Amino acid sequence: MSEKEHKVSRRQFLTYTLTGVGGFMAAGMLMPMARFALDPALEAGAESDFVRVASLDELTEEPQRFDFVVEQEDGWYSSEVTRVAWIYLANNEVVALSPVCTHLGCTVNWEGSESYPENFFCPCHGGRFERDGTNIQGTPPTRPLDVYEVQVEGDDVYLGGTVQR
Amino acid sequence: MKWNTTDADMYLKASEYVDTAIIPLIPLNWKKDFKGTVARGEFISLITDEIEKQFKGRVYTIPPFTYLEEESDEVRAERLKQWDDHLFKNGFAHVIYLTSDGDWKRVEEHLPDTLLWIPALPLENVEPSYAKDMVSQQIRQILPMITDKWQSGPKERES
Repeated sequence: MSEKEHKVSRRQFLTYTLTGVGGFMAAGMLMPMARFALDPALEAGAESDFVRVASLDELTEEPQRFDFVVEQEDGWYSSEVTRVAWIYLANNEVVALSPVCTHLGCTVNWEGSESYPENFFCPCHGGRFERDGTNIQGTPPTRPLDVYEVQVEGDDVYLGGTVQR
Repeated sequence: MKWNTTDADMYLKASEYVDTAIIPLIPLNWKKDFKGTVARGEFISLITDEIEKQFKGRVYTIPPFTYLEEESDEVRAERLKQWDDHLFKNGFAHVIYLTSDGDWKRVEEHLPDTLLWIPALPLENVEPSYAKDMVSQQIRQILPMITDKWQSGPKERES
């Protein structure tokens, strides 16, 4: 009865099954490839973890150095890394600057040279930055210091990843 | 900069800014005070890494110069001189030898550039967070020695 209504020839049946199975196998191969290609792009946008670094009443208008520890994952190897931030208050907003010189990656210090007060100073090649992290023309760095993402909850200051400006 | 390909690429792009090489001097001795030798080597690697982090853009950390403690002072000083000579001729105006092994003090005058001798701290019995503090205190004292060296210009080599 029903055999008469849907007539599927042997040839058609084989075509359908082979296309189905073939498609399934192709998808099985392509999916991981696409994932590998896209994964780094997805990861970069992923939200980084915030770490408590300081309490609000420790902060002043003067940039102060705070060290904190973050868990860093390199593939399947995770390790603890110490990071540094220069944190200060500007109009009651918390600003946290990365100490990594945008020239070649040395560590800068607030008023690190007596000749240049009110500047971040890089000991390697004399790079200088304003209080807000802007690079000073005529010194090697070509862009401002990176800033940390900041979250303030109650009295606690949390820092996340760094953002390029 | 560290001894890896990523930093090597960075060096190739910016070699005119990198004028300082740091060579950790790390001894080997299985007969006498084996563990002490390991501790000294470990401590110097730690200090080297920390200095690299501070001065990444101007300092290249070279693979350790290793030697047997029974090697005579003259021989190892001569070998180190060859390393120094090679680096100096290839653009490193400053070469710093970093060690916890006091024996090097005996040949310091015969070395072409600056020896920094830093006695190892017994970190293994100390709580990790406190150990970190101790190391960063030490680092804070070592960094000015390097910036002062930069201020005073490279040492002349006799040749």
